[in-house]
Amino acid sequence: MARILAVDDSPSMRQLVKLALSSGGHEVDLATDGVEALEVAEKQQFDVVITDVNMPNMDGISLVRELRRRTNYRFVPLLMLTTESTAERKQQGKEAGATGWLVKPFDPDRLLSIVSKVLT
Amino acid sequence: MPAAARPSHGSACPPSIPGFQGIHRFWDPASERWTAKLLPGEFYVTRHDEAIATVLGSCISACISDRRIGCGGMNHFMLPEDGGGGAGNGWTDPATGLATRYGSHAMECLINELLKLGGKREHFEIKLFGGGRILASMTDVGARNAAFVRAYLKNEGLKVAAEDLGDIYPRRIIYFPDTGRVRVRRLQPLEATAIADRERRYQGDLARQSGGGDVELFG
Repeated sequence: MARILAVDDSPSMRQLVKLALSSGGHEVDLATDGVEALEVAEKQQFDVVITDVNMPNMDGISLVRELRRRTNYRFVPLLMLTTESTAERKQQGKEAGATGWLVKPFDPDRLLSIVSKVLT
Repeated sequence: MPAAARPSHGSACPPSIPGFQGIHRFWDPASERWTAKLLPGEFYVTRHDEAIATVLGSCISACISDRRIGCGGMNHFMLPEDGGGGAGNGWTDPATGLATRYGSHAMECLINELLKLGGKREHFEIKLFGGGRILASMTDVGARNAAFVRAYLKNEGLKVAAEDLGDIYPRRIIYFPDTGRVRVRRLQPLEATAIADRERRYQGDLARQSGGGDVELFG
């Protein structure tokens, strides 16, 4: 079981991701954009952060860049879960420090297996 | 003005936004607009005075614009059958099932592209079309598609400005994102069989895609 922060500006997507992850026994906190995610991540430590890319206030790539600057998130798996699938965007994510890139729509079992993989 | 005095193509085809070059566009002399023609599963967004057209049976099109920014777009989707040809992974709960995940994805793709163009959720004008029960012999998948899109938008806190959903007619719709106007023509039941066939093929494709999108772990 891991403590996971899931970040998405869409309420529907937050619910879907939370249901999928909690069914795998994980404890899930939610944030609606990068700014809120940073606040939550500073108050408590998460084992994995899963974030959307396109969000108001602060996008997912900037969020990853910000988290990597903090010593307690330097080695934490940070996964992008997004509708974006271009090589350029993936490269931006990689350079920002993302651990992996998952293109929506997501398959719940696959999401759970990726989470276990990045935790080991 | 005599027709000969007008250039045959009114204006040059406006450039499409990156990622949408694959969408077929043609000059429509009736509306005097470049018009993107959507097939099931496609979506299109624009910042120009183009039109977007499609033909709907039980499928849904959401037309969304933010006229403050001058961008708008339309999708054309339906829900896959839950469990039908899927991964058989037990995700059949309507809240998390394949249908909800796919439908949410279709809506999110359109909304994200509009947000990328500078649109704001709070300024969206949303109109919904389709979801017809075009063949009496089929189960009413149109009603299921319509119920999904209404519930999705409610959950997202997005208001619907207008809708023409359900009933028994296939619809041809032409959307003008720059004004938000939609021209709907109800087609004769005679055309329903061909439209239903095309939608059934699309639904079959969806069931095969149920494994989700690409995954890449950076080394």
